[in-house]
Amino acid sequence: MNLGTAKWQRNVFIASFIIPTLVFFGIFTIYPVVKGLYYAFFDWSGMSEHKNFVGLDNFKDMFNDPIVWRAIGNDYFLVAGKIIGIMILATFFAVALTRFGFKLAGFFRSIFFIPNVISVVVVGVLWNFIYNPQIGFLNAFLSLFTKEKVTITWLGFPAHTIWMLLPPAIWAGIGFYMILLIAAIQSIPESYYEAANIEGAGEWHQFWKITVPLVWEQIKVSIINIMMTTLNGSFVIVWIMTEGGPDNSTQVMGSYLYQMAFRQFHFGYGAAIGFVIMVLSLITTIVLQRLMRHESVEMS
Amino acid sequence: MTKHIKNPVVKLIIYAILILWGISVIYPLVWTVLDSVKDNQQFFFNAPWSLPKFPLLWDNFSYVWSKYNFSTYFMNSLIITVGSTLLAVLLSAMTAYVLARYKFRGSNLLFLLYISSMMVPFVLALIPLFFLMNSMGLINTKIGLIFVYTSSLLAFGVFILVGFFKSLPKELEEAAIVDGASYYGTFFKVMLPLSQPGLITLGIVNVLNIWNEYIVGTILINDPTQYTLPVEIGVMQAEMQYRTEWGPLFAALLITIVPILIVYIIFQRQIASGITAGAVK
Repeated sequence: MNLGTAKWQRNVFIASFIIPTLVFFGIFTIYPVVKGLYYAFFDWSGMSEHKNFVGLDNFKDMFNDPIVWRAIGNDYFLVAGKIIGIMILATFFAVALTRFGFKLAGFFRSIFFIPNVISVVVVGVLWNFIYNPQIGFLNAFLSLFTKEKVTITWLGFPAHTIWMLLPPAIWAGIGFYMILLIAAIQSIPESYYEAANIEGAGEWHQFWKITVPLVWEQIKVSIINIMMTTLNGSFVIVWIMTEGGPDNSTQVMGSYLYQMAFRQFHFGYGAAIGFVIMVLSLITTIVLQRLMRHESVEMS
Repeated sequence: MTKHIKNPVVKLIIYAILILWGISVIYPLVWTVLDSVKDNQQFFFNAPWSLPKFPLLWDNFSYVWSKYNFSTYFMNSLIITVGSTLLAVLLSAMTAYVLARYKFRGSNLLFLLYISSMMVPFVLALIPLFFLMNSMGLINTKIGLIFVYTSSLLAFGVFILVGFFKSLPKELEEAAIVDGASYYGTFFKVMLPLSQPGLITLGIVNVLNIWNEYIVGTILINDPTQYTLPVEIGVMQAEMQYRTEWGPLFAALLITIVPILIVYIIFQRQIASGITAGAVK
C-alpha cells in the first residue's frame, strides 16, 4: 500500500468529518456571537445598512440608564434567590431520596423532574394563572380564609413583583440539579457511612462530614450552572409573565436586550447589553469559582 | 445498605415535605387537564380547583386544533424538533468520533473551541442571528430554524460524545479495519451501532430542548403559519388580555405538554444519564 495515499485518505476522512460540523457551527453560532460583540460599538436602527460607529457611547448610555442598573440588580436577585432556593431543596430531596431508604424514592424522583421537561413558556402561563387577580388560584385560596374576595394583583406592584418570579423559577429548576446530586451521592462508597455509623455519628453529622464534602464538585457545578442559565436565560420567564413590567421593575438584562432590540429597534444598544451580560457572567463565574475553591475533597 | 431513619417524627416531616412538593408538581398538570374542558363561565364563577361541569367541553380541543391552527403548529414543532435533533446528533457524532480517535494538528484547539463556546451567553447571538437569517432568506422558514437549533446543540453534543466514544473499546474498530473496512465503513457500520446508547441519550436531551425552545423561535419566526407550539403559546397568552378564552388556552397547553411528557416517561433513564454526563467536567 502506498503510504502517501493512506495518509491522504486519513486526512480526507478527518476533514470530511470535521468540516460540515464546523461550517454549521461557524455560520450559526460563532459568527453571530462575534458580530454581536462588534455591533455593541455602533448606533443602528436595523432599518438601513447604515451603522454609526459610536465607540463606547452605548456603554456610557448604559451607565446612565437607571433601567440597566435595575435589570442587573434583578438578575443578581434572581441568581441569589435561585441558588439558595434550588440548592437547599435539591440537596434535601437528593439526600432524602437516596440515604433514607424510602420505598417510593424512585417514584418521587420521576415526579420531581417533570417541571424540567415542560417549556418555560408553559411554566410562565401556568404561574400567571396562579397569580391571576380575578380567577387565579392564589387569590381563590386566600379567599377561603377571608370574608371578602381577595383580589390582589400579584404581578402589579413595582416594588415586589420580582419576588413573585422567584417561585416559578425555583419550581422549574429543581429537578435537574436533584438528578445531578442523586447521581453524585450514589457514587459515594457505602463503607464511609458504615464507618461513621460505627463511630456513632448522627445523620446530620454524616451529611456535613461525608455527603457535602464528597459531592462538593457537583454542588459547585450546580451553583455556577444556575448562575449562568439565570443570567443568560431567565428573561424568558420574565418576558412571558411580566414583559419586564410594571414600569420596568422586573426587567432583567436579557428581557431589556429583547425589548431594546426587537421592540424599540436600538440594535446597537441591545448588542451592548448582550456584551455586558457576557462580561458579567464571566466575572461571576470566576468569583464563584474562587469562593468555592478550597473545599473540594478528592475521593481516594 | 442505606440507613432507615429511626425517629418517626423526622421521618414523617420528611415524607410530608416530599408529598407536598409532589403535589405542587402534579397539581398544575391535573388542573390543566380539568380546566381544558371548562367554559369561561366556570372560570369566572367557580373556584379554580372546582371540577369541570358536565357535559365536558371537549370542543376546546377541536377549537384549538383547527381554529387556532394547532394542527399546523404541532407539525411545525414536530418537523423542526426531529430535523434538528437528527442533524445535530449526526454532525456532533462525526466530529466527536474524529476528536476521540484521531490525533491531528489543531485537534485540541477544535475541542477547546466547542467547549469554551458553552460559556458564551447565546443571547449575545440573537441580534446578529436575526439579520443573518434575514439576509440568507431563512427568516420564517422551518429549515432556517432547524439550522440554528442544530448549531446551538453542537457544542454540548461534541462534548458528551467525545467522552462517550473514548469509553468504547477500540478492538472492534481495529478488527473492522483489519477486515478491510474503510474509515467511513468503520464509522457507520461499527461505531454508530455500537454507540447507540450515547446517541439516544444525546438525542433525547436535544428533543427536550428544541420542543420547548421559545426565544429563538420568537425572533426568527413572525409568520403565523410557521409558528412552533411554544411561540404560539406565548402569542396566545399575550392575546388573553383582549379576548379571554381560558379553556382553549389550557387545551393548548396540554397539546404542548403531553407529547414531551410521553417522551420523558419512555426515556427517563436516558435523560438522567444525559444530565450526569453533561455535568462531569
